[in-house]
Amino acid sequence: MAIRRRNDRVNLSPFQKFYLLVAGAVIIGPFVPLLIQSFAFQWDWPNVLPSEWWWSARTRARLPQGWDYVLSPYSRLLEATVNTVAIGLVVMVICLAICLPAARVLAREKFRGKNGFEFFLSLPLIVPESAIGIALLMIFIRLGLAGSYAGIIIAHLIPTIPYMIRMLTAVYQGLGREFEEQAYILGASRWQTLRMVTLPMLMPGVVAGCLFTFLVSTNIFLLTFFLGQGRIITLPTLLFSKISGGTLDASAAGLTLLVSLPGIILLIVSERFIKEEAFGKGFGA
Amino acid sequence: MKCLSRVALIASMSVALMAGIAFADESAGKFQADFLAGKLTWDDVLAQARQDGEIQFYYWGGDDNLNIWIDSVVTPALAAEGVKLVANRITGTKDAVDLVIAEANSGRGIGDGSVDAIWLNGENFYTLNRQKLLFGSFAQAVPNAVNFEWNSEDPRSQLNLRDFGIETNSQEIPWSGEQYVCAVNRALMPTEKTPSTFDGLKAYLEANPGKFTYVKPPHYLGNTFVQEVLYAFNPDGTGSAPFQKSLEELGVDELARIAAPGFEYLKSIEPLLLGGPTGTVRYPEDASAAQGLFRNSETHMYCEFGLYGVATNRATGNYPQTAEEIVFPENAMIKNKNYLAIPANAPNPAAALVFANYMASVDAQASKLETIGYPAGIDPWKLTVEDAARLEAAAPGHFGVTQADLDANIAPDTNASLVDVIEATWLEYIERKSTAPLAEIIATAAKNLNK
Repeated sequence: MAIRRRNDRVNLSPFQKFYLLVAGAVIIGPFVPLLIQSFAFQWDWPNVLPSEWWWSARTRARLPQGWDYVLSPYSRLLEATVNTVAIGLVVMVICLAICLPAARVLAREKFRGKNGFEFFLSLPLIVPESAIGIALLMIFIRLGLAGSYAGIIIAHLIPTIPYMIRMLTAVYQGLGREFEEQAYILGASRWQTLRMVTLPMLMPGVVAGCLFTFLVSTNIFLLTFFLGQGRIITLPTLLFSKISGGTLDASAAGLTLLVSLPGIILLIVSERFIKEEAFGKGFGA
Repeated sequence: MKCLSRVALIASMSVALMAGIAFADESAGKFQADFLAGKLTWDDVLAQARQDGEIQFYYWGGDDNLNIWIDSVVTPALAAEGVKLVANRITGTKDAVDLVIAEANSGRGIGDGSVDAIWLNGENFYTLNRQKLLFGSFAQAVPNAVNFEWNSEDPRSQLNLRDFGIETNSQEIPWSGEQYVCAVNRALMPTEKTPSTFDGLKAYLEANPGKFTYVKPPHYLGNTFVQEVLYAFNPDGTGSAPFQKSLEELGVDELARIAAPGFEYLKSIEPLLLGGPTGTVRYPEDASAAQGLFRNSETHMYCEFGLYGVATNRATGNYPQTAEEIVFPENAMIKNKNYLAIPANAPNPAAALVFANYMASVDAQASKLETIGYPAGIDPWKLTVEDAARLEAAAPGHFGVTQADLDANIAPDTNASLVDVIEATWLEYIERKSTAPLAEIIATAAKNLNK
């Protein structure tokens, strides 16, 4: 039984503690062998721990192995990280620019075929990515966009726009027209209203939408793979080309760990940000 | 899903394109025509390559060691020629082949594609060749062609002239060689009990049930094991010879006759393979799964392409440190080469030629052998004594056998047109446990192939 204390802290029952422990183990569990593997030179069944560690084999290795490879320029980790983050940021900004006005109309106006249009907007979530990818590839090759950053960014907009629109529509619906009308009555211009009234109130949705868009973009493998033509590498394509042979050797394990870092960092940041900024100040009404 | 998408990709492509591609870039077209007609000197090619400025090379990027070698040795060597090597690491060679086909299909003709060179062999070469998407016969026209045996009267030239039984017409140049070598874990399998024939293997497995398995066909490692079995049990005793013919030449009935004893053997050892004694036999899906079993002492023996595989895999921790090579099966260890091909619509064909020529040099081959243990693609008897000695000195060591032992027991690959039938037969007869007569299964497999 939970007893409320000051500071909203709660004493957990043994069952709740156990439940948390299990949940934690399920989340962290898979990372433990990965971590060990990344530092292993040879890890044989039935040994619980590697029979030889990376650092002891390191001295006789002629070429960089394990972490030496992952952290060397040969692994192309830096290039992939820069590409991933840059593409993610650009996609985020463009996506926001497209979705903000669209969400406003969808949330506030009524027009013929609105339901159908909303369904149409979520189509990219239903149609398999591979189908979109192949069709786009054929078109982009003709347009000369295949293998270019522009091509990948356009492709990333397809699965991100539906999410962003849904989130922004939801916050717009929560934001009544009257706030903006109030501002107009008080003599604010459209731009002033947008900047000083609408946007600040929409902020929680915008931030959440942006973070989500960025996260989705940085995780897209198939579209990047098709349209990047192997020339533009991102963290997902780098990881896939490493593990597609089915090998999870030390360098693959190291790479996997590093590739999951940005997501974890973003999650921690967004958690704090959304908690304080978004849900703290809330929707005004 | 990846597989499905490929099918869709190929299907959408087969609508158009079967008759080669149109000229798109005139100067590239002229360069190609002039080079293939022998009108250009190598200096002309070098000058054009500097003008091209870069080369887009596509290769399977799953091997850390190879990646290091390409970036640290090949890239600077080409930079010295004024060519920037862009080494694109891909997940599977087929991706690059699909890309070439997709681009050609979208009207990207000569000089207008995006792939300059691909590391490939077998089926992928066959696909590009059939669709007439290769640059042309260049392999004998580059200066380092002297490092290869091209005289078809010498049987050793077959590895340069034919790729899985398909004539290459010099449209690809060999750059690495491979041999299917079985490794055993000496901690588990003593020398005196080591098999050297398939019957010996069966006897060993009867004493040690479940201690061996092979990679599951249609993976090429599994196909190769099956092919070696078929060679060994060829009822005429002619080994690999009839398997060099195409399906058309050989005939389905004849194939069924010579392949039947091999398939019977494969069926008979199934209960003795990994998991067999408990009733659920396990064929690993790929090399790394099979290596894991071998490393973990679950199997005593493991077969894979890799002439120096034991040395390399001991160094990377992939094999147990007690792994040794054996000669198995006697006189039927499949050896092949892999190649560099230039697509017809390569945007920088001159640079691609310079790249191919460099990869065929003694410098590159010795460095590759020494650094990453990939066997030489060039032929040592065509080299000067010093160069041949250099190559030999660069080679990683063998464990338990000598190079001469391995050289003395080689056999060629099976013709590409038979590989698909054999693969389909394995799936039907072994995997799906079909009880139909073998001849019928093979006939069905051959018929389905022609559909």
